[in-house]
Amino acid sequence: MNRTAIITGASRGLGRTVAEFLAAQGYGLVITARGEEDLQAAARSLRRHGGQVIALAGDVTDRDHRRRLAAAARELGRLDILFNNASTLGATPLPPLAGYPLGELEEAFRVNVSAPLALIQETLPLLEESGGMIVNISSDAARGGYPGWGGYGLTKAALDLASLTLANELSGRWVGVVSVDPGDLRTRMHQDAFPGEDISDRPLPEVTLPFWAWLFSQPPAAVTGRRYQAQADRWEVNAPVLEEVAV
Amino acid sequence: MNRIELDFDRPRALQATGPPERRGLKRDEVRLLVSTEKGHEHARFRDLPRFLEPGTLLVVNTSATLPASLPAWHAGLGPILANISTQYGGGLYLVELRKSASEPGPLAVEVGDTFEIAGMPARLVAPHPGLPRLWFVRVESDIRQAMARVGSPIRYGYLEAPYPAIGEYQTLFARDAGSAEMPSAGRPFTQRVVDALRSKGIALAGITLHAGVSSHEVEAEAVEEQVLYAEPFQVPEAAAEAVTAARKEGRPVVAVGTTVVRALESTWDGERVRPAAGFTRLMIHPGRPVRTVNGLITGLHDPLASHLALLYSVAPKEVVRAGYAEAVREGYLWHEFGDSHLLLNQPRPAA
Repeated sequence: MNRTAIITGASRGLGRTVAEFLAAQGYGLVITARGEEDLQAAARSLRRHGGQVIALAGDVTDRDHRRRLAAAARELGRLDILFNNASTLGATPLPPLAGYPLGELEEAFRVNVSAPLALIQETLPLLEESGGMIVNISSDAARGGYPGWGGYGLTKAALDLASLTLANELSGRWVGVVSVDPGDLRTRMHQDAFPGEDISDRPLPEVTLPFWAWLFSQPPAAVTGRRYQAQADRWEVNAPVLEEVAV
Repeated sequence: MNRIELDFDRPRALQATGPPERRGLKRDEVRLLVSTEKGHEHARFRDLPRFLEPGTLLVVNTSATLPASLPAWHAGLGPILANISTQYGGGLYLVELRKSASEPGPLAVEVGDTFEIAGMPARLVAPHPGLPRLWFVRVESDIRQAMARVGSPIRYGYLEAPYPAIGEYQTLFARDAGSAEMPSAGRPFTQRVVDALRSKGIALAGITLHAGVSSHEVEAEAVEEQVLYAEPFQVPEAAAEAVTAARKEGRPVVAVGTTVVRALESTWDGERVRPAAGFTRLMIHPGRPVRTVNGLITGLHDPLASHLALLYSVAPKEVVRAGYAEAVREGYLWHEFGDSHLLLNQPRPAA
């Protein structure tokens, strides 16, 4: 049976790039995003590779929608990757924390923390059956303390902690949890964070493909609990069983 | 650093067209150029122990070489060559598609193309970002079995027939098969050289880095921006501890091959070399000087090779360039079966 993935925020940017990469490898996909039209366009492109693509437009903060996503994965027969990518920047232009509108902060937590966690809860049995991997998309804003990035950064720091805690709680079970900072990319979200600025010096999301090629080839136990930078110059596995080499 | 600083003139004839054994030499009888800030000396590789002080730690790459060049068939292109650079796992590989050993490409292929590698169905998944000659390829069948059946060592146009067999590519230290191309710095080592090193109080430690296909010339104007592809590496506990101890005690650490430098530098945490495993694509250049080694045994690298930037960060650029001028003047041989170069820096005081 072909491997499968659920990808949120799949109609553009990083989510779309990873979806194409997996589809070209023969993965079955469940993709979602809020805009029906863009999502269906992405689905048409992904179907060129010949695999099954179930495209469900909706909001990941909606419980019924999350249940539909999990049911679609069940329909495909298994679930190997949950790619929690859909995110909101929160209030834009990015306000300093001292003046952050709290309603928008709570909304950002709903989208960036509660929704991915809820989708994990919804799909965990399937992921365990398949020995799957949960990928939560983070950001350097989770650690940097960059002025203006506090709202978004808080949600991603919380998501990082969720990833690590889940990895520890699920240790020994057949599922891995990783947090990935994709680095600056030339995407709509990045442009929204820098309205009116030229971001053409940022690389396209394709620059992260070598990392995904590596990550999705690893056994979940080798990477669970780790936080990776997709554009870094190395990616390490967990305390490996290192054989001493006699020379 | 501008790429022009990696350029020099290397006469075309100065290349090994086959193993030294075909030239009537034993492995350890290739020439050895020894370059330090004091000057350059000419010797044979078996003289190596003479140039290393007791207490030196040599770190070697224990990766063995695969017969990674496979015949392939593409409906639109006919017979082509698939050089398997790197195995990712789960049926995913990084592959260089070529017209032949002597003709690289580019080939008119696209994402989604299906073709055959050694008779097995394969699919082009995506080009490697920044390195369009390399493709991520999905192959469902066991590619190692196909290599054993019909694979041959990756070779390029400068080698002359009869072509070396896979055994001629294995170094004395080869343990773990995974390199697409021979970690060639280790090839001149023989048991008698190792015995002589040990009896002089020189220790050896092993790491593994599975080398992929040869990097081409640096294309980025700024050397620091050159894209490298990632390679699997493993620095075991014993090697990590040996390097860390040698550094603390002020004993020289000499890497056998640029792969060893990349593996050690990849796990240097500012104080020590950590045991680790994963993939690395660390680009080493003078703006990112090496901390883990004081010397390097390596072959001679072509003009504009990214490895030269690594050499410049092990020893001063002037020393490397003067050494290369010396090697050209003295008629040293380039490429994987060619002559050897020992670059030695003064041991750095413990950080």
